[in-house]
Amino acid sequence: MTGSFQHFRFSFREVAPTINEVLEYVRSSGLDKEHPAVVFTDQVLRQLDNFQGICGGYHIKKNEPVLPTAGVVKIDDFALHVGKQISRYLKEASYMALFLCTAGPDFSEIAGKLNHEGNWMEAYLVDAIGSLTVEKAMNIIWSNLEESMDKEELKISNRYSPGYCNWDVSDQKILFSLIGDNPTGIALSETCLMSPVKSVSGIIGIGKNLKRYKYGCKICNNQTCIYRKLIHE
Amino acid sequence: MKSELLNKLFECVEFGKINLESPYPPQMKGMPGADEITREALESGITPDEILNKALIAAMDKVGQKFSEKKIFVPQMLLSAKAMNVSMEHLKPYFADGSVKRKGVFILGTVFGDLHDIGKNLVGMMIEGAGWEVVDLGVDVKIDTFVNKVKEYPDAPVGISALLSTTMINIKPVIEAIKTVSPKTRVIVGGAPLSAEFAASIGADAYGKNPQEGIKWLESIYRS
Repeated sequence: MTGSFQHFRFSFREVAPTINEVLEYVRSSGLDKEHPAVVFTDQVLRQLDNFQGICGGYHIKKNEPVLPTAGVVKIDDFALHVGKQISRYLKEASYMALFLCTAGPDFSEIAGKLNHEGNWMEAYLVDAIGSLTVEKAMNIIWSNLEESMDKEELKISNRYSPGYCNWDVSDQKILFSLIGDNPTGIALSETCLMSPVKSVSGIIGIGKNLKRYKYGCKICNNQTCIYRKLIHE
Repeated sequence: MKSELLNKLFECVEFGKINLESPYPPQMKGMPGADEITREALESGITPDEILNKALIAAMDKVGQKFSEKKIFVPQMLLSAKAMNVSMEHLKPYFADGSVKRKGVFILGTVFGDLHDIGKNLVGMMIEGAGWEVVDLGVDVKIDTFVNKVKEYPDAPVGISALLSTTMINIKPVIEAIKTVSPKTRVIVGGAPLSAEFAASIGADAYGKNPQEGIKWLESIYRS
């Protein structure tokens, strides 16, 4: 089951968010169809239709038994300090799928250009489309993993990423070294931020008795998390 | 005539009617926007000061208020900011020759290690719309860059933002460095993962939950 990096490539058409998803993401579902935000989103989604360059994948590795009290996941003698919250949900995992996915540099470049021209709303919308695109691509990769593991009678967990749920972003370095060579082209900055910006990374637990818990703030006690604020405020 | 033009300009900024070509809002289609009305206002003898205070600042204040009350969201706010900016272009010569004075300089940047700029840009636009000159240092701003800018503008308050719980801790050494070279400089911090408690714990003078709170804090400094 373990082995090399399983690679996926997508066209924008395969993973594009719908106009309603974009507007909902920017909390603007209520805008009328003539509003520039709606008109622009519709236009830009059409323009990006033939866009390629979205890719990602995972590398499955065996892990040592997860001890929730330690808040650590050990793989190949390396320790990922995922924290107690995440490790509790991964305690039944025997394997970890270490994943990466990127929407590529184009979204940030287009948004940067629009910002530079003073088209701030348009830049914001392109940025939002990039964020949704990478998440949708990762949803497909996750579903593919679930299907593969189902054949082995194994279950998979939600995705967990450095920088969230009290997992320090500095662990990106260990995560990337564990993933090893891969064709995604995602690089890490000195401060462990990914480039292209529209990229995600993290782990998915795999195990026979692994339960999938509800996503969301109930699993996390981080009161200062951005997602908690976005969802609940 | 004068108040009519100022009211029209106010409305253009509030609803993001940028120029004649802008098709939105529908009830203003085919009518002049912020660009044309500002030119007309100046030509008709309305002072740049009146344009700034009675139309632009007042409109952006209303936009900020609506945003705080969740009546509008980021896209509408950015559209208003663009309309304001188009109008402000006409006022630039008056800022340059000193005939219109801004309330002061506000230094702004995203802390080192963090590349997020949407929230910071939004704050910058709203603060500019409130009558301040914004010196935007960009993202991933190192300690020395903040310190050098504070030395250049010793009276300017500073705004520092972060979007990640893992980068917000970088704000503390920036504040320490600023306060070391300029103890009187006041610092406000903001960004999704921050809180008032965290702001106090790292020595910030204030926490801005949203752009409007930042503006209120700056107003309190301006008036003191």
